[in-house]
Amino acid sequence: MSEKLEKGLEVLRAEMDGKAKAFFSSCVNCGICAESCLFYTETRDPRYTPIYKTEPLRKLWRKEYSFWGKISSALGFSRPMAESDLTDWEELVYDGCSMCGRCSMVCPVGVDISGMIFKVKHALAKAGISPEGLVGATQRAVDIGSPMGITLTTVHAMIKHVEEDTGLKIPMDVEGADYMALLSSNEIALYPEYLESLAKIFDHAGVSWTLSSDAFEATNSGLQIGNKAIAGQLVQRVVDGAEKLKVKNVISPECGHAYTALRWEGPNFIGKAYPFRVVHILELLDELQAAGKLKTTGKESERLTFHDPCSIVRRGGINAQPRNLLGPITENFVEMADHGNMNWCCGGGGGVSSNERAEELKLTAFNRKKSQIEATGATGVVTACSNCRMVMEEGVETNEMGVELLGLTEMIAAHLEDRPN
Amino acid sequence: MIENLIDGPLWYFSLAVFVIGVVWRLGSIIFASRKQDLSVARGAAGPAAVKTVFSRFVPHKEIASQITLPIVAGYMFHLGLFALLFFAAPHVVFLEENLLGFGWTPMPHWAFIVAAQLSFLGLIMLYMRRMVNPVSRLISTWDDHVAAILTFVVMLTGCFALLEGSTGLRLLHRFTVELWLIYFPFSALMHTFTFVPSRAFTGAWFGRRGIDA
Amino acid sequence: MKIRTLLIVMCLTLLPFQAFSQDKKPEPGVFMKDPGSELWRQVRQRDMEGVGISQVRGVDSGVLINARGDQWARFRMTQLSTYGGMAIAGIFAIVILFYVVRGRVPVEGGLSGHMVKRFTDYERVVHWTLAIVFLFLAITGLILLLGRPVLLPLFGKEVFSLMASASKEGHNLFGPLFLVSLIMMLISFARRNIYEKGDMTWLLKGGGLIGEGHASGGFFNMGEKTWYWMVILVGLVIAVSGLILVSPTFGQGRVIMELSHIVHTIGALVLMTVSVGHMYLGSIGSEGALEGMKTGYVDINWADAHHDRWGKVCHEQDLIISAEEYARLQGQKPGAGEMETAEQSK
Repeated sequence: MSEKLEKGLEVLRAEMDGKAKAFFSSCVNCGICAESCLFYTETRDPRYTPIYKTEPLRKLWRKEYSFWGKISSALGFSRPMAESDLTDWEELVYDGCSMCGRCSMVCPVGVDISGMIFKVKHALAKAGISPEGLVGATQRAVDIGSPMGITLTTVHAMIKHVEEDTGLKIPMDVEGADYMALLSSNEIALYPEYLESLAKIFDHAGVSWTLSSDAFEATNSGLQIGNKAIAGQLVQRVVDGAEKLKVKNVISPECGHAYTALRWEGPNFIGKAYPFRVVHILELLDELQAAGKLKTTGKESERLTFHDPCSIVRRGGINAQPRNLLGPITENFVEMADHGNMNWCCGGGGGVSSNERAEELKLTAFNRKKSQIEATGATGVVTACSNCRMVMEEGVETNEMGVELLGLTEMIAAHLEDRPN
Repeated sequence: MIENLIDGPLWYFSLAVFVIGVVWRLGSIIFASRKQDLSVARGAAGPAAVKTVFSRFVPHKEIASQITLPIVAGYMFHLGLFALLFFAAPHVVFLEENLLGFGWTPMPHWAFIVAAQLSFLGLIMLYMRRMVNPVSRLISTWDDHVAAILTFVVMLTGCFALLEGSTGLRLLHRFTVELWLIYFPFSALMHTFTFVPSRAFTGAWFGRRGIDA
Repeated sequence: MKIRTLLIVMCLTLLPFQAFSQDKKPEPGVFMKDPGSELWRQVRQRDMEGVGISQVRGVDSGVLINARGDQWARFRMTQLSTYGGMAIAGIFAIVILFYVVRGRVPVEGGLSGHMVKRFTDYERVVHWTLAIVFLFLAITGLILLLGRPVLLPLFGKEVFSLMASASKEGHNLFGPLFLVSLIMMLISFARRNIYEKGDMTWLLKGGGLIGEGHASGGFFNMGEKTWYWMVILVGLVIAVSGLILVSPTFGQGRVIMELSHIVHTIGALVLMTVSVGHMYLGSIGSEGALEGMKTGYVDINWADAHHDRWGKVCHEQDLIISAEEYARLQGQKPGAGEMETAEQSK
């Protein structure tokens, strides 16, 4: 048995909990999940059927945990798991799944299919069967601190820029601040507007906040590739940074998987609960608005719609907040069909956008979003995830759609009432 | 000779396999280790688990139009079979006399026939869909086929014995039922029971995160 | 004359008449009308004019013995089962003979591997559901029709009684499913089966089975359309007559039941006979035909050969997909096996 296979199987066996057993005992292969998956609906390739992507784990369950599997193994009828049972699935789980979790919403017997796919990803990552792009990004995240290779120097340069533009001081390493903000790689490299908006909003609302030199990066490549150990290592950096500054809250930025990694999976990755609260920026803004600390003025007259980032809405439970925030600043807001918990993914989640090999498939999957956006007749799409935004910008450009992509936090910042001096 | 076997030892054997098998399978799911979730919950897991067990009976409207055939045929088959199994007069009498010691009002004969017809049509359409749909053709295992065909055979022998006038046909039906009972705990037929913990686990997961699934 | 009166007359006259006949020799030359034979004629209702009155209220309760029942039973036991059996055996013989003579009809120029979508999942589910229900009804129906002459000697009384009883119950239960599947078939396929210009040419060319060259056809050709309407119309007749037979509580009398039975059986025999031909042509008889009902896709060369007018539309609208694309849509990894078939056929 090859080392890869051995490692992969070891992980799969460790992942075989009561849930997995209940799920695999219940699945009758009806195939309904296929219709919920944009990689299937946009390609009509049956191999992208969500439950089929769990096959490495499911095959192991059949062979080692089911009655017939045990019998036929004992009698020597059954072929043991082979390396190809893992390697053949690499493309399916890394390129053909954005971990959007829509399948988990529709399964009639309630299988959390995307949860099972993550287990498979975990095994493949541990076995070293992952796409190069993601392996490289993960390596950079471990070595340099950011998957895009961003260093503290880059952040300092950006801070300087933002301070010049806004005339506001960006608090750095302030001990005992209420909130510690994090940034995703995209927000540092592509969307410095995010930090600028944070500075304006927190200044407006009088929020005590800080950035940390030790922990500014929220992107978690470990989660994207599925390696729980690395994911935990990256979460630990944030925890250490937050503990060092003794902050009460850590703000997860406008980035879907960073929220999942920090808010939901993080404590499990590192094996202990946090001494602070993790709050998504949309949750915080909603809280500030509800407390009357966020006063906005003026409304966007443009026809706008909102793209629900999967990790934040469907898998994160932040559904009402973006609507609460958009209401007061838009006058021509339209919801997409299937919006909210059943919205379609942009096509680039779960590490797909960091995986160059998946580029073409990602753009094919974007067709779903394209037709959704076109049906609304909106000229601007608001979202709250820098990855969704980047993927959709690329899709809009490739398809020459003439639609503008907007970050929700930025929009709020642009509509802030002037502070009474 | 065969009559004594089917009505006697084989019946008790199959019943024992069924009961012990199902309990064992459910136990191995419910008592299996589950890691404690260390993240701070936003909502309550328990009520969401219970809710999801029931809410998954109805498909989300966003996908319903894409899955009309399996949903309609699925309901025809499952509801028909449920009615047949527990409310057909001969079954009520059988359960009362052989197993439970009490009975209940069976459905009228015409309802029995209609339930059987719905069930048959649903099962045939579902199985045909399994055979022609590229997705279900790709993911179906031999167990799915055996389970479906065995269930069909049980229903068919039941239908053959409708007249209740022949020992041979009654024995044939009982024999296929016994085979079905023995096969049940080791097969996809287990979804009859495991869909409850399965939905509950997922419901709890969503509930903790404050998501209405 | 009323039966009751007759019965009374009979009772009164029979005994004295007999007694009298024992005492004295009948006078020669005097004709005595036999009231017994008169009575029997009435009871048998050979001339079908008399209907009795009975305390029992119900359809046909005034009929003691249905004279036509004899005719019907004789017709069913001799002609219907004999000729029916011959028709079924005959069609198999014809199909086998046809296969021996003509062989499998190949697609001109072979299969290309390039495919076009022909049927949706739902359409195929409807087709196969109807097919399965039909086959089940055909088999159980034939057991009931031909069981006594064919199966009884083969299996003996005990086994055959089980088969007959099971078949009757199965046939009755599945019957209504046939009507439901038929209606689904009617709804999803009717539009494409409306006759159109050019269909007659197909008929004149003998559907391409006789002689050289293929006959022209649209999405469905003349033969398929005719088979479709035959299934729908004859199917409806079978279904309605079957419902009359299976639910005798709606006031229909013996005559209607007998007629229904005959119509039901003859209709079913017609459909069964033609369906054997349909099954043959849809599978081993014609290269590339089964694919359409299996995967929903057919080879473009097959479409051009059998449905040239539809094939032309597929070419014009660019609906043709490559062998690799087809393999992908079937969930097979591209490049594994499927490409070879395409190469080989060139």
